[in-house]
Amino acid sequence: MADISIKHLVKRFGKVEAVSDVSLQIADGEFLVLLGPSGCGKSTILRVVAGLEDADAGEIVIGGRLINFIDPVRRNVAMVFQNYALYPHMSVYKNIAFPLQIAKQSKEEVGLAVGRAAAMLGLENLLQRLPGELSGGQRQRVALARAIVRAPQAFLMDEPLSNLDAQLRIQTRLELIQLHQRLGITTIYVTHDQIEAMTMGDRIAVLSEGVLQQIGTPQEVYRRPANVFVATFLGAPPMNLIGGELEWVEFGWRFRGDNIDVPLSADVTSPPEDGNPADMRQVKLGLRPEHLRIGPPGETGGIAGQVQFLEPVGSDLFLTVEAAGTLLQVRTDPDSPLQPGENVSLLFDPWRAQVFGPDGQNLRRDTAPVESAAALAPAAAS
Amino acid sequence: MMSTVSAEKAWDELTLSEAEYRRAGARYRQRRSLRAYLFLLPYFIPFIAFLLVPALWSIWLSFNRGGILDPAKYVGLENWRSIASDTELTGAIQNTAVYAVEAILLVFTLAIVLALLLNRYRKGSNIFKLALYVPLLAPAVLVGLIWQFLTNFDFGFINLALDAMGFDRLNILGSGRLALLTIVLAEVWRGLGFWTLYFLASLQNVPEELLDAARVDGARGVQRFRRVTIPLLRPMLLFAVVIAIIANFQVFDTVYVLTQGGPYESTSTMVWFIWKRLFQFQETGQGYAAAVVLLAIILALTAISFRVLGARRKRRA
Amino acid sequence: MAVQAGGVAESDVLSQHAQEYASAARRHRAFGITKGLAAYATLSIFALIAIVPFLYLLSPSFRKSYELFSYPPKWIPSSLYTGNFGTILHQTSYPRWALNTLIFATSVTVITLIIDTLAGYAFARLRFPGRGVLFGLVLGTLMIPTAVLIAPLYIMISRLPGWTHSGINTYPGMILPMVCSPLGVFMMRQFISTLPEALVEAARLDGGSEWLIFRKIVLPLMKPAIVVLGIFTFMAQWVNFLWPLIITTTNDMKTLTVGVSSLQGQFVTNWGVISAAAVMTMAPVIVIFLMFQRWFVQASMAGALKQ
Repeated sequence: MADISIKHLVKRFGKVEAVSDVSLQIADGEFLVLLGPSGCGKSTILRVVAGLEDADAGEIVIGGRLINFIDPVRRNVAMVFQNYALYPHMSVYKNIAFPLQIAKQSKEEVGLAVGRAAAMLGLENLLQRLPGELSGGQRQRVALARAIVRAPQAFLMDEPLSNLDAQLRIQTRLELIQLHQRLGITTIYVTHDQIEAMTMGDRIAVLSEGVLQQIGTPQEVYRRPANVFVATFLGAPPMNLIGGELEWVEFGWRFRGDNIDVPLSADVTSPPEDGNPADMRQVKLGLRPEHLRIGPPGETGGIAGQVQFLEPVGSDLFLTVEAAGTLLQVRTDPDSPLQPGENVSLLFDPWRAQVFGPDGQNLRRDTAPVESAAALAPAAAS
Repeated sequence: MMSTVSAEKAWDELTLSEAEYRRAGARYRQRRSLRAYLFLLPYFIPFIAFLLVPALWSIWLSFNRGGILDPAKYVGLENWRSIASDTELTGAIQNTAVYAVEAILLVFTLAIVLALLLNRYRKGSNIFKLALYVPLLAPAVLVGLIWQFLTNFDFGFINLALDAMGFDRLNILGSGRLALLTIVLAEVWRGLGFWTLYFLASLQNVPEELLDAARVDGARGVQRFRRVTIPLLRPMLLFAVVIAIIANFQVFDTVYVLTQGGPYESTSTMVWFIWKRLFQFQETGQGYAAAVVLLAIILALTAISFRVLGARRKRRA
Repeated sequence: MAVQAGGVAESDVLSQHAQEYASAARRHRAFGITKGLAAYATLSIFALIAIVPFLYLLSPSFRKSYELFSYPPKWIPSSLYTGNFGTILHQTSYPRWALNTLIFATSVTVITLIIDTLAGYAFARLRFPGRGVLFGLVLGTLMIPTAVLIAPLYIMISRLPGWTHSGINTYPGMILPMVCSPLGVFMMRQFISTLPEALVEAARLDGGSEWLIFRKIVLPLMKPAIVVLGIFTFMAQWVNFLWPLIITTTNDMKTLTVGVSSLQGQFVTNWGVISAAAVMTMAPVIVIFLMFQRWFVQASMAGALKQ
């Protein structure tokens, strides 16, 4: 077991920079999720850590050992692949035993270790089967067993659940969480699925186009997105964004825009020192659909709007409301009697609102992407 | 307090200097490359010794004479001067070209027709595929033998058939044009199975959906073949043409067995010419130069095939 | 009323349409069957053309030579004469040629398989500088005709300076120059590229050296490709003529192709003996072919060069 530091990692494929100066510190025993859309460089980071790709710059340190120039064989990390990568011509037993046999362990040792790993994942009855005879979920377990059997310093998981059907994915997700709690091995987990990220990660690192956007606990990343990308990537439907300007009016911020004039709490950004700075002219107000409440039309402090569409999804009702010159998504009670065409006003708690500057960054002080990584790492470890 | 914080290294500070990093990286990659080269070594030793070196050597040899029985001697351009005016070589080139054009056109036409039929009528097609394949198993010697039998003046099938129909028997291998045609037919007979299976495999690579889409769009059979199948098969066709040119410009075995280049060199091909100069006449210099001519012709024809068949692919893309 | 009248007229039209449709369908079917018959007839003719000449060899091999010239020709021999086969076995070196061919073709095949799979693995799955250039070089040599190589190869094998023995009429001299087929490397690389890369990567992380990964993971999965390349290489050497013709000068070192062709000089017009040799040569190959037909057909598809 070990902590992992990724320092200023750069990886290029030809002229394309797949990973640009990414630094991450992962505490011993932590479960870190790399989250981002496809092509954001998350898998590349994992493959560089594993030694399947070379870094162009930057260092990878596992347990205090610089591993950039060590063969994958001797990095002592185990990887679980998206397609499981089971050796098709070997039985389940041989698949799990393979890393130990290479390490020249005695037959008894191998037998014991495989037995333990198989028991942990409920594979005892499948040991003589070939991978081709197993279901997707079973294959995934074999891949996990093969990874844990060597007691590696770290697990690297590359979208391990994406080939499973929805129900199995939820079940395996829980099992993975339990497995991690039991073994306590440092894990880097790559996914594009935000639900997986939110439910499994001690912390989430959000990436886009090779750049680290934000790192923090799931709550931090969700509640205080560092920028517009994180705000819209997380959450379904995503955070509503309304263009307008921010103005300091008598000890408080007000947000003004097309058909909208609402007070915000004082801490959306630090108060101006003299006058209203120009960069407050073009900001975006971010409001999550579940933070908007429906009130009767004309309510003070509300945003006037008209209901356009209803989308009942069973547990919730999603409304599309035309307001503030744009379309806003609102999550509300499925039993709501609202009809399309109805006029309403939208209310929200000012302290929940986020404001993003012209560069897309959250104007709040405490959400800068990298500084918080260093500050939070020890906290996550304890 | 402030001073202790700044004395401690930041967690993301790099430990290696740029130079150290570069050196360690180079060493690491070197070790990895070395392992890869070890995998390549067993192949590249014979590859260099028996393919690359001889290929380059053959060009050097074209300025030499001797070599087969005695050490080679440099003679400058003499070989090239001597073959430039050698009508036997020009004859051999001509024969080879006539042979190759006839053989490739005939075998491709027949193979494409048979492949289309096998692709359309799949029931029981396996037996036809197997039958067509059998001639491929025969070494050229046997192919030659079989065609000697078929064309024999006294008991050959062709002459017996002519006789039965009331025509005069023909001395087939004794007449220049017919002898070359016999070589064409013998090679077509031998290669037909291969090319049929090749085109059949190519046809089966054409996605069914595309043809269905074309059918829905109202394209008739011939149109579908011309507008959908042929363009999709272009890369396969290019490969086939290149391979067929390389193979057919080297025709030798059948000539050796059937006609020995005769009558009067009318079936002498390039490889036959080269072989005879090298190993029969001891005119090695001419053989060396002719071999380089053959190499140049094949390279030129390959380049032309790529131009003609490859260019449209680019335009379309 | 109008609606009803319209309905009657419409149903008349409909039944008329149905009849037309039925007759059109009949015509279509009949046309289809005719087309099908023509197709199968064409295929049958070409299948016969491919097969019958071999049978044409069978008949003289069981007859005395002079019987061939009887007129009208007799295709079924009156009695089975096996003397031709005896002549081949006892008065020629046929068994020795067969052995030579077996040694020659098998050795080339085994060596080719070993070096081509190794190189194919390196080209498909290992990283090293010059990968593209080297692979391009290998593919480029596809275009070099054998005829260009024979003279330098002959000189090399016969007396390279410093060699104490000539390689002419030796097995190594015959075998080694034939082992590097560019096509084999290409085939192996293509095949290994189709195996999931994650398998090799997983094995790399599981602690395998490249050699171990190659042996334990890649090689067992390559069985189909190895069989195909094996058959392809063996067949190419089995029919190889030019090289054995040049590199063997003694009767005892000839391969079947060269040996059988030399019979034509020895038994000038003794067609019975010559066709007996041909039958003996073809029969085992056809049996093997019928046993492994699936692989043969794949071999001809995977590769493409005749030589």
